[in-house]
Amino acid sequence: MAEWLAFARGPLFRLSVAVMVLGLARHLAVTVWGLIRAYRLSDDKNVSWRRAAHQTLDWLVPVRHLRERWFYSLMSVIFHIGVIVTPVFLLAHIRLLQKSIGVAWWALPMTAADVLTLTTVVTLLLLISGRVGSGAARGISRLQDYAIPGLIVVPFLSGFLAAHPGLNPFPYNPTMLVHILSADLCIVLVPFTKLAHMALLPLSQLPSELAWRFPPDYPERVARQIGTQGRAI
Amino acid sequence: MDASAENENEPMVETAAVSHDAVVRPTRPYSFYIEPYDETDRPRKFLDVMAAMLRHSTYDHWLDLYSKISTKCSRCAEVCPIYDTTGDPHDIPCYRTELILKVYRRYFTVSGMLRARLGHAWELTDRHIDEMAESIYHCTACRRCTIECPLGIDHALMTHLMRHILTEIGVVPKALVVAVREQLEGATHNTSAIPVAAMVDTCEFLEEELTEQLEYDKIKFPIDVEDAEYVFFPAVSDYLLEADTLMGNAAVFHATGCSWTIGSGNFDGINYGLFVNDRYLRRIIQQLVTEVRRLGGAKIMIGECGHASRSAKDFVPVFGGPDPPEVVNCMEWTHRMLTEGRLQLNPDIITDVVTYHDPCNIARRGWIVDRPREILRAFCRNFVEMTPRGRYNYCCGGGGGTVSIDEMREYRTGIGGKKKADQIRATGARYLVAPCANCKKQLREIVEDHELEGVEVVGLHDLILKVIEIPGAKPAADRTVVDPMTMDWKGAAENG
Repeated sequence: MAEWLAFARGPLFRLSVAVMVLGLARHLAVTVWGLIRAYRLSDDKNVSWRRAAHQTLDWLVPVRHLRERWFYSLMSVIFHIGVIVTPVFLLAHIRLLQKSIGVAWWALPMTAADVLTLTTVVTLLLLISGRVGSGAARGISRLQDYAIPGLIVVPFLSGFLAAHPGLNPFPYNPTMLVHILSADLCIVLVPFTKLAHMALLPLSQLPSELAWRFPPDYPERVARQIGTQGRAI
Repeated sequence: MDASAENENEPMVETAAVSHDAVVRPTRPYSFYIEPYDETDRPRKFLDVMAAMLRHSTYDHWLDLYSKISTKCSRCAEVCPIYDTTGDPHDIPCYRTELILKVYRRYFTVSGMLRARLGHAWELTDRHIDEMAESIYHCTACRRCTIECPLGIDHALMTHLMRHILTEIGVVPKALVVAVREQLEGATHNTSAIPVAAMVDTCEFLEEELTEQLEYDKIKFPIDVEDAEYVFFPAVSDYLLEADTLMGNAAVFHATGCSWTIGSGNFDGINYGLFVNDRYLRRIIQQLVTEVRRLGGAKIMIGECGHASRSAKDFVPVFGGPDPPEVVNCMEWTHRMLTEGRLQLNPDIITDVVTYHDPCNIARRGWIVDRPREILRAFCRNFVEMTPRGRYNYCCGGGGGTVSIDEMREYRTGIGGKKKADQIRATGARYLVAPCANCKKQLREIVEDHELEGVEVVGLHDLILKVIEIPGAKPAADRTVVDPMTMDWKGAAENG
């Protein structure tokens, strides 16, 4: 079991992170390239960067949008804070990193980490039930929209249990193995699922600003290719 | 959604269900009429057009990004007035966008193609195309979902793309394509098929009418004046239906010394290309620019029309060639003149409750929101707002060209216009100001179909015409036409 644990938190973790980082880097590069290309191909260079920046900030810090469907929105915001802050600022994680690469930073106090972990789990479960319970959300949900949140619950819950042996009905090592393997799986899935929005979100308001500035003669080129050019309407 | 909600909206579900029918019929049961076209091999044709679109435009970048980023959070469902009314998941913006993302992922990404090789692939079918065709014209392209999407997904852009592709394979509402055909290939070059002589006659009639109303004969509709600063393009239907709006425009231009003209070569600001196809959009924009160049004009002035304003404002710089003329909406001019003190409006004439409807195409991105309100507040004693308003307004329900599709009226006013009807009722307004030809038509039908008694749908300049003070002309107070509906009989009797 110890070897399994070492493998999961060593090479497997490093591989997962590498896949995530490279995958997201590719997504970012492709997106930035698309934005630059759209800008370059258009005759209309009068882009409102200010409006785009405003929209981006508006959604990165979505306080203004809490009024609409306030409970769901609030749960979503709290969940996102928890899902980012907890793993990054957990003392146990930082210690591991310090041991392997010698880098460390400020850590959450234990109680805060516990509260945040449980809050993340609870808000996530509420979000899942919100999706199941709402006709609109159910109508547009795919398998991954249930599977990904379901998967994210696992490392948080198993991590919490591993950190509190008194509350844990399972032995430590299997709990820890589940914790690390599920976390590795979450990490490796980032570039291949909707989790990619963690990197793409800061860029995602820009297309709306640029996309309507079409290349000047594109409609005619399309018509030429499909053979409708010059045809009566 | 639950089953009961589905049953309540049976007519719409019924339409979608029919279009799901596996039997390919020669005439498809869309909720809009289409002209006969070659219906064979539609999925292949669809993919050919889409491939060409992705190659020559920048759509592939956005499809790629939206495919990756869409979290299906369903916030768009919360803000969509159509879904809010029907409760039908087919009307959720994200569901509609998924119709094209699905095609993109399957046929234009490596993973989609690999999956197809492995044998478990979804295939584009006639049924999918029918669902898409029905869905994209249920949407009024109001773009409320776009500004409310946390992930920034521009659902309206996706609808725009689907409409373009379907137009190229022949699936396009007849009402829209007939208008575009007349505008681009007809004898009159305008969507209402008004001959130049008729337009000139109308202008002369309006001048006479102004002379009569104001006892002042200097307000003119200048035609083909060279080197004017502004070439004026109202929605051409205004020449048939909105005499007061045009007279209001002319009165403001005259009172403020605006250098303007109407071009006989092209006098239609309407651009249904925006609703169906960028090829048409581009050509209509080029017609506008050509007319401005012919007359040696400097700028384009669009009349009271939302989509005409947005098409010109957004797409003259895109499709208008080098050094494109600046685009201004007539309300911008009026507002500027008012703030510069060059326009006198009598604040004692309009005492009834007035409310303002934001046309999506000028308000959604925050272009013209406060200015018409400032104008109205300058002369309306009783101005009330709708909620929500401005950038977050509800569409009149006739956006995206649907207002011109008469066979969709029941859907437009019953479902598309339900929220707007409730809003109007809540204001208790006598005058509903809507500075948009399409909104006005739709709102009048809403007033009729929802029995909103006593509400009069007017343009902003219709009201300005009632209150404008022009030196030498009959004062506004003396030319007030007493409306029997609101007449103060006692006061009228006392005044003789």
